[in-house]
Amino acid sequence: MVSRSEVLSLCRAMLRAGRQYPHYNLREYTKRRTLDGFRMNNTDQSKVNEAYAEAKAQLVVLERSVKFHSLYPPKTKNIMEVKLQ
Amino acid sequence: MASLSTTSLSFKAPSTRISQVLKKGSSFQSVTFGRFTSSTSKSLRLQISCAAKAETVQKVSDIVKEQLALTADTPLTAESKFTALGADSLDTVEIVMALEEKFNISVEESDAQNITTIQEAADLIEDLVQKKPAA
Repeated sequence: MVSRSEVLSLCRAMLRAGRQYPHYNLREYTKRRTLDGFRMNNTDQSKVNEAYAEAKAQLVVLERSVKFHSLYPPKTKNIMEVKLQ
Repeated sequence: MASLSTTSLSFKAPSTRISQVLKKGSSFQSVTFGRFTSSTSKSLRLQISCAAKAETVQKVSDIVKEQLALTADTPLTAESKFTALGADSLDTVEIVMALEEKFNISVEESDAQNITTIQEAADLIEDLVQKKPAA
């Protein structure tokens, strides 16, 4: 049985990893998706272990993906990141 | 040694109508502040004490409001617990992440799990901002 703090640290680790993308869209997506994913699986207590294992695998994928995407960072700043004047 | 468990300073923050009561940490034994209210921005004074500055607390409150989608007139004091405002633990994680980004700091796992109120968050932020020489 995974403990509460383990789940929270996994969530934090995923959010931290997602922050490292140079691409705005990927950053926002991972943030949104991890939070939604964790909230969805919150409710069903019997599936918690499965969900945790899945999320751990996803974290590995995420970290690898960040490294790949950092190889080709976007050349221009995304319009969404430009502050309104 | 003057025995003080908590000393309260009540300030009227100039920009908002919320009065924030800040508690000093009990590691201080030197000076006892009597109760005084000031209307000008005395937030600079607090640099001497270990309580977080009013601006930091204000910034933290803003972020919390945004994350939890609270209306603008919800009473938000420094002592509000996140759970009391309707946040579950995932929301707390989100808030801590947002604070990390905003203040450009990095919160440890152990610290992050102990944050329950706005005041604690502000204190931790102050701590980290001072330790790391931020540009």
